[in-house]
Amino acid sequence: MPLDLAAAFRERGYVAGDALVTALRLVVALGKPLLLEGPAGVGKTEAAKTLAEVLGTRLIRLQCYEGLDAQAALYEWNYARQLLHLRAAEAGGRPVTDEDLYGPQFLMQRPLLEAIRQPTSPVLLIDEVDRADEAFEAFLLELLAEWQVTVPELGTLRATARPHVLLTSNRSRELSDALRRRCLYQWVEYPSAAQELDILRARLPGIDEALARQVTAAVHALRALPLGKPPGVAETLDWAAALLALHRDWLDAPALEATLGAVLKLHEDQRLARPTLDRIAAHNAGA
Amino acid sequence: MTSPGLAQLSAQVRAFAAQLRFRHGFLIGPGEIRDALRAVQAVDVLQVAQVQDALRAVLTTSPAEARVFDAEFGAFFRRPAELPPPPLPPAPGGQAAPGEPSPPEPTARAGKKTGPVQGHPQSSGEDPADEDAISPQAPGRALENAPDDPDTPPQVLRARLSPHAGAGGRVQTEVDDLPELLRAASALIRAVELGRARRLRPRPHGPKLDARRTLRAAARTAGDAALLKWLGRPRRAPRFLLMLDGSRSMGQSAALLLRFAFALHLRARRVEVYAFSTGLTRLTPHLRRAGPGQPLALPDLGAAWGGGTRIGDNLLRLAREERDRLNRDTVVLILSDGLDTGDPEVLIRALRDLRARAGLLVWLSPLAALPGYQPVQRAVQAALPHLDAFLPAGSLGDLHALGRRLRR
Repeated sequence: MPLDLAAAFRERGYVAGDALVTALRLVVALGKPLLLEGPAGVGKTEAAKTLAEVLGTRLIRLQCYEGLDAQAALYEWNYARQLLHLRAAEAGGRPVTDEDLYGPQFLMQRPLLEAIRQPTSPVLLIDEVDRADEAFEAFLLELLAEWQVTVPELGTLRATARPHVLLTSNRSRELSDALRRRCLYQWVEYPSAAQELDILRARLPGIDEALARQVTAAVHALRALPLGKPPGVAETLDWAAALLALHRDWLDAPALEATLGAVLKLHEDQRLARPTLDRIAAHNAGA
Repeated sequence: MTSPGLAQLSAQVRAFAAQLRFRHGFLIGPGEIRDALRAVQAVDVLQVAQVQDALRAVLTTSPAEARVFDAEFGAFFRRPAELPPPPLPPAPGGQAAPGEPSPPEPTARAGKKTGPVQGHPQSSGEDPADEDAISPQAPGRALENAPDDPDTPPQVLRARLSPHAGAGGRVQTEVDDLPELLRAASALIRAVELGRARRLRPRPHGPKLDARRTLRAAARTAGDAALLKWLGRPRRAPRFLLMLDGSRSMGQSAALLLRFAFALHLRARRVEVYAFSTGLTRLTPHLRRAGPGQPLALPDLGAAWGGGTRIGDNLLRLAREERDRLNRDTVVLILSDGLDTGDPEVLIRALRDLRARAGLLVWLSPLAALPGYQPVQRAVQAALPHLDAFLPAGSLGDLHALGRRLRR
């Protein structure tokens, strides 16, 4: 692990807060999973990707969704292939044993099993764990505690190198206390204006300084409103990129109008933010 | 841990963890303390901010706990006094669980902490947190707040409409009618018709072949798949979001409906309960903490109980807070008499928001059970076009009939 994790992250275009950097350092030092919570679009998933880059290991991602079960997350036997194998053996008059039928060539590895069987510790990202149901959460608990998987036909597979695990949640459901206790916890907040300016500079190196300042100030003004879907950092970057693509270097009323859909994605929000947007446009026009 | 400096730090971390556990009910066991000690060694101990970040990551499990942690950490480590032994846990038989981890109930904590930890040099440390969460406002200040500003913390609105709102008082329920209520809750859950779940489960008959189990069964019949196994989708379990009007006008009905909420919580797995009066408080953690067979005891709910009613503001706030958790499986039950003092426009906006996301939006009113009732209350009139159902809930009988009436 690099000594200065924050600098290593920044090199790769991720401006991380001190608390997040410390938490990520502990993931590696303590070997415990880290649960990242926070509003949508603050860079939780991106943190895992960048950590994998910094550590120089693979990123294995499990996207959770409603109805996700162990077969989709862990492993599945390739039944069609097994049947073909049986038929071929029958036609050839060869006897078939259990070992033939449940060999590694018939095992389809899904992300969790794949993460366990890596020779070097990968970064395992379990994304939006709140979308999976409680049954899956309980299953996950067992895996995170023991780092072993029992496949009835093969026996117990133990992790050779423990993955660095990051879980993210958008709080669409309360996670169980048991899962929280297994994990380190970090709440990821929207960045401060100065940090967000840094992020813009790091991600869009060609951006005009004045425009970057205008965009960050506008996004911060919008976040202060009681919006249904407040803009995240992802929206800030999209917005700035949209302005760059349209060759706008000043956030005036027409530029705002043309690119509003990049930052406010609900009609009610656009209506609610109208007075604020007018004020921003007027302020920028006067500057 | 050989050098005396490290040994001292380790003792401090342990004392600090004990303080969080006893005073605020953090879930910290030996495992967490071990991790905390390892975490402290993994960071630069000379930088207080890094130590704080590291300990926060290990010892807290929610943003609410993180706020308490930061206040306590500031008080504990910025004043290197001699370390007192960890205070004893509160004597058994106390009203609530030791300490309230979430800040909405700081009054309860403030009232209790003077007991076992009195005279503790660091005990002044949590005052900043308490002031953030709630502070007795001068009435003049409260009146200045624009009523439609959804950002206004509800605590500020306390005493706006009711001189007794601040007195709140403890809310306690008896166990005697619990079996009845449980039956009513089961009937309601059965009556809520939702779609099918996404996840496939083994079923005797179903739309999808279970290849794995079929093949395993075929091993017994010499490779011939004689017995077919099936997968199907069971019915979805409904989630409930209950919004309980605790204002004075609700009187006994509020207590009954609270007991009903508790029964529902015992029967369905995902139940969120909020109480509101002039302010809004989440009751779910208290319901979860109540032991089986124990009477439900809630701490002082402050602005959420026994005051006037500001249903629109509170519903709007709830709709925003719970937005992510509302989906097509959610049944929203609003339990209120509709005697509201707020602006009906706000209420309409909130109900429209809720309706757009929830599967079912039902208003239960104790007044509607009275003979000859007409829905003339301003709030009810405004709400009616946005509701799936408006049903009476004045007595146990009404609650029993809920499921039947909903199905109609």
